[in-house]
Amino acid sequence: MLLLAGFAVFGMFAAPAHAASAPFGHVSPAADGDIAIKVRVQNQVKDATTGKTKKEPIVGATIQVLGADGSVVGEGVTDAKGLATIPVPGRADYTVKLDEASLPDGSVLVDGAAERQVLESSFVTSNVTVNYFTGQADRATVGWWSQFAQRLADGARLGLILAMCSVGLSLIFGTTGLTNFAHGEMVTFGAMTAYILNIDFGIHLLLAAPLAIVAGGLFGVAFDGIVFGPLRRRKIGLVSQMVVTVGLAIVLKNAFLWKLGGRVKQFADFNSQECSRFGPICITPRDLTTSAISLVLLVAVAFALQRTRLGKATRAVSDNPDLASSTGIDSQKIIRIVWILGGMLAATGGIFRGLDEGVSPTMGADLLFLMFAGITLGGLGSAFGALVGGFVIGIFVEVTTLGIPIFPGKDWPDPFNWIHNGVPTELKNMPAYLIMIVVLLVRPQGILGRRERVG
Amino acid sequence: MIAGILDLPFNDILRATLSAFFGVNAMYFAIAAIGLNVQFGYAGLLNFGQAGFMACGAYAVGMTTHYFHISFWWGIPIAITYAVVFGLIMGIPTLRLRADYLAIVTIALAEVLRLLVRSVTFKKKFGGSDGINGFAETFRSVTPFDDAKRYKMYPFDASNGSVATVLLLLLFAVGALFAGRILTRRFSKEGQNRTLVQGVATVLSFGFILVISTYVEYAGLSFKAIVVGWILAAILGLFVYMLMKSPWGRVLKGIREDEEAVRSLGKSVYSYKMQALILGGVIATFSGIMFSLDRGSVQPDNYSRDVTFYVLTALVLGGAAKVSGSIVGPMLFWGILSFADVFLNSLFKEWGNQIGIFGWKFVSNSSQVGMIVQGMIGLMLVLLMVFRPQGLFGNRKEMALDGR
Amino acid sequence: MDAENLELGADGGETMTTELSETARVARAALADVAPEPGVAKPDPIMSAAGVRRSFGGITAVDVERVEIQRGSITALIGPNGAGKTTFFNLMTGFDTPDAGSWAFNGKSLEKVAAHKTAGMGMVRTFQLTKSLTKMSVIENMKLGATGQTGEKWWNGLLPFRWKAQEKLIEARSDELLRRFKLDHMRNEYAGTLSGGQRKLLEMSRALMTNPQLVMLDEPMAGVNPALKQSLNQHIKGLRDEGMTVLFVEHDMDMVHDISDWVIVMAEGRIIAEGTPDQISTNPAVIDAYLGSHQGKSLLEDL
Repeated sequence: MLLLAGFAVFGMFAAPAHAASAPFGHVSPAADGDIAIKVRVQNQVKDATTGKTKKEPIVGATIQVLGADGSVVGEGVTDAKGLATIPVPGRADYTVKLDEASLPDGSVLVDGAAERQVLESSFVTSNVTVNYFTGQADRATVGWWSQFAQRLADGARLGLILAMCSVGLSLIFGTTGLTNFAHGEMVTFGAMTAYILNIDFGIHLLLAAPLAIVAGGLFGVAFDGIVFGPLRRRKIGLVSQMVVTVGLAIVLKNAFLWKLGGRVKQFADFNSQECSRFGPICITPRDLTTSAISLVLLVAVAFALQRTRLGKATRAVSDNPDLASSTGIDSQKIIRIVWILGGMLAATGGIFRGLDEGVSPTMGADLLFLMFAGITLGGLGSAFGALVGGFVIGIFVEVTTLGIPIFPGKDWPDPFNWIHNGVPTELKNMPAYLIMIVVLLVRPQGILGRRERVG
Repeated sequence: MIAGILDLPFNDILRATLSAFFGVNAMYFAIAAIGLNVQFGYAGLLNFGQAGFMACGAYAVGMTTHYFHISFWWGIPIAITYAVVFGLIMGIPTLRLRADYLAIVTIALAEVLRLLVRSVTFKKKFGGSDGINGFAETFRSVTPFDDAKRYKMYPFDASNGSVATVLLLLLFAVGALFAGRILTRRFSKEGQNRTLVQGVATVLSFGFILVISTYVEYAGLSFKAIVVGWILAAILGLFVYMLMKSPWGRVLKGIREDEEAVRSLGKSVYSYKMQALILGGVIATFSGIMFSLDRGSVQPDNYSRDVTFYVLTALVLGGAAKVSGSIVGPMLFWGILSFADVFLNSLFKEWGNQIGIFGWKFVSNSSQVGMIVQGMIGLMLVLLMVFRPQGLFGNRKEMALDGR
Repeated sequence: MDAENLELGADGGETMTTELSETARVARAALADVAPEPGVAKPDPIMSAAGVRRSFGGITAVDVERVEIQRGSITALIGPNGAGKTTFFNLMTGFDTPDAGSWAFNGKSLEKVAAHKTAGMGMVRTFQLTKSLTKMSVIENMKLGATGQTGEKWWNGLLPFRWKAQEKLIEARSDELLRRFKLDHMRNEYAGTLSGGQRKLLEMSRALMTNPQLVMLDEPMAGVNPALKQSLNQHIKGLRDEGMTVLFVEHDMDMVHDISDWVIVMAEGRIIAEGTPDQISTNPAVIDAYLGSHQGKSLLEDL
């Protein structure tokens, strides 16, 4: 499928006349043969405790396709994958109709109407897919406070990962002034390396992870040694360097895609664990362990920055590079150490994230915005700011998916009803961006940043 | 191995490359790059959210029939309104701060916009991940080309009507003027008669374009968008050129060099940056409009952050802070890209569905070709920024300054 | 406005003398009766500040109780490194905001006045690290300095006939100033190709394009070769002769002694002494300040 998608994406190079193919979007793959409408019916199960949505196929749902004149053109019944392929005579306007009576008991259509329009222009390839989602008619209810506790725990887990990834980003900014847009790829690199060692070389994750973390550190120092160190010496402007990080991010993302393809992958170990209950919270032993390790690592980093000579020197360079170098601190050495540390922490975060959500080429880039929100909140350039900001953002993102039911507005239009119903999962990062913008408006130096850092 | 290379369909590769030169992608990238040039090239603003501005245009025209149920032409003022609002949201919190904040916020907000328009929550308004279809009928009916026919880019081709001939000649003349300027600036030596050199370069360029155009043909549908789009690009290019020749443009360039110095001379830097951000954004909305008109549909994933970065690469390739750079850059960009892609894909087929060097197979499925080509874009951006920040046709004197 | 400026530039450059000029005599006479103590009131202040404080992360960079700058004089602001001179400049010109205090220019309070508005009021500054706009030509640098340009509105920018006439006047004035500062031969070169001293000259002449009443120069002599220093001296004196007030930060005590009518000494953010150059060079508080900071020992020798 990926192969076909790739063809669709790049087909346009070869044939500019077919301007209808997408340059960057992922068009559904064209199956050879006749023109057809594919209908997929899935049941969305929202786990009341974790708040995550799973999709299960619905078998035996009946679908009719009507032509423009209202006559029945084709019929189909969904198979074990919840999929019904209904051939149609050609590219034209059709109406797809789901027979709601054929759905299993207790399932109701939750999103959109039973009748859908398929327009002639939607046939970008030889078929069009129509998705129906159903949900449970009567939901199991869990108390709001229990849900809240669960989201808080999930948020703390995300927050720890974010904090770990952001420390490097913030320290690199502090010591060199560079905002590294390829930092997300450093996170992915850690997870990818662990995955390759784990799957391709068959090394158990307990060994693969530390190896990948070391590789992450080397990766970080390579960034500095090969690219940004020389650029600094050549006195290339920071804006140009930032654009270079963007270019590197593109290269790396495609290298990851080239190596492992676009699918989300799982490690071989510690998969599908049952969660164990701690009061209202349900958490897998794996996640509990990674969170504990994250916490220990972060405390260690904070302690090192606060107490050790090297840590103090790092903070001095971050506060004022010129002054620090005039007091005899080797700022180049500090910068190298910061890159190593940043790379290792990012790799660790990537592996933990990969255990939780799976390994994919864009997993780090997707976290990058949340990291930015975190370090903006905490104060750009401050290591403690990054810790606190990342943690707060993580919790905030998870908790805001749970609305405040005592607040009126259940029936208000989007997005105002989010206060009551919670932010939809697909848009759950939005509150983090909102925080970022509010912080920039009100206190651009962040919670822990200092005023003079802002230009 | 060598024989394999010789067997490649070179005619097809050439045709694909040349078609990409004038094609829809080069066109809509050029318009976006003209806008980005105002922000990044002239004012030095690191706008990483150009895709968001493009989406503003695309969704504005898409929503006219889909949601507002009004005439298609209202799409243009709505697009401009969207772009202004989007620019204000981006600019107000960031433009007083360091350049990094603008980059972070623009990239994040463009992504927010994309997530919003593709969300199930707002599906009624924006059509979710399927996007919006069927709004381009007005555009199709008013442009004087037949959808079913194929058109040659060559102005005197029998299939083109007289309208097309005149429009194409006009476009080629403008293009030749640009090319002449670039070539002169890059290659003329001290003491040469610049007017003469430029005249010769322009005439040669015109001839060259004419020769190329005989190779290139498009389907009627795309041909409309291509002709209209390039005319629009030329107008917008002229607009930016005039602005940058004016004292307004001088202030912008000053801000790029050192905003504190400009502030000390009594200019409201914040206001100028905002103007540049919004103006560039408004120009970019036309890119989104033209792209969606060509495709007859709007899809959220065509406005991902990668699009911004590709536009940026195309701009840097042609040379930032030059109008000609923002137009020639995207043409070169798509020329190079389609060449690489078609070449590698042909090689892939020719060598038995794999490409390898010394036994190491680095392409073993065809989607990897796409990834290599896209990775190449990133590499191109890095190399350009490090070794040729002035672009391929950079001014010699300016290049010397960068070495300092 | 423009005609006036043209005249200004025409004879400005030729009035350099080693003798005290008429304006210098007037300025020194006006300051002769002022008591040499910190924060003393001046007969005709163009700028005044009171209670201005600014601290960075717990360290007080500037804490000025009271200071006034005499109109039509050349006032030097000296002090050891880290005394807060540049921060004080930033605070006065709106490039930084003090934690507390009030300050005024020509009797108008500058609190809540944005940095770019101070130039329009007749107050212009230069920077310690020269800010020449490298990738713009020298003449473009100059033209940028002119205030109130019609063509700086973007919609006017599209209509050349609305700004071309004004542009011609501005260009003439720029050329005039370039000739006076002996930069006319570099007119069409990129500012980045100028030498350090030439950049200082360019920055100063660009600042003059705003028609200022008060020119604030932050270390105009830093990195300038000795030959050029002499002519810079003359240029600064020339500004006073044209009726402008000059406030400058400097380390070179020879120059301070040579051209200033009044000297203000800062140390650790506070103003510790004021007076004529002669009074300052014998002031024990000043010597203490330089000694106490363990810096500027070479300056002491000059004193």
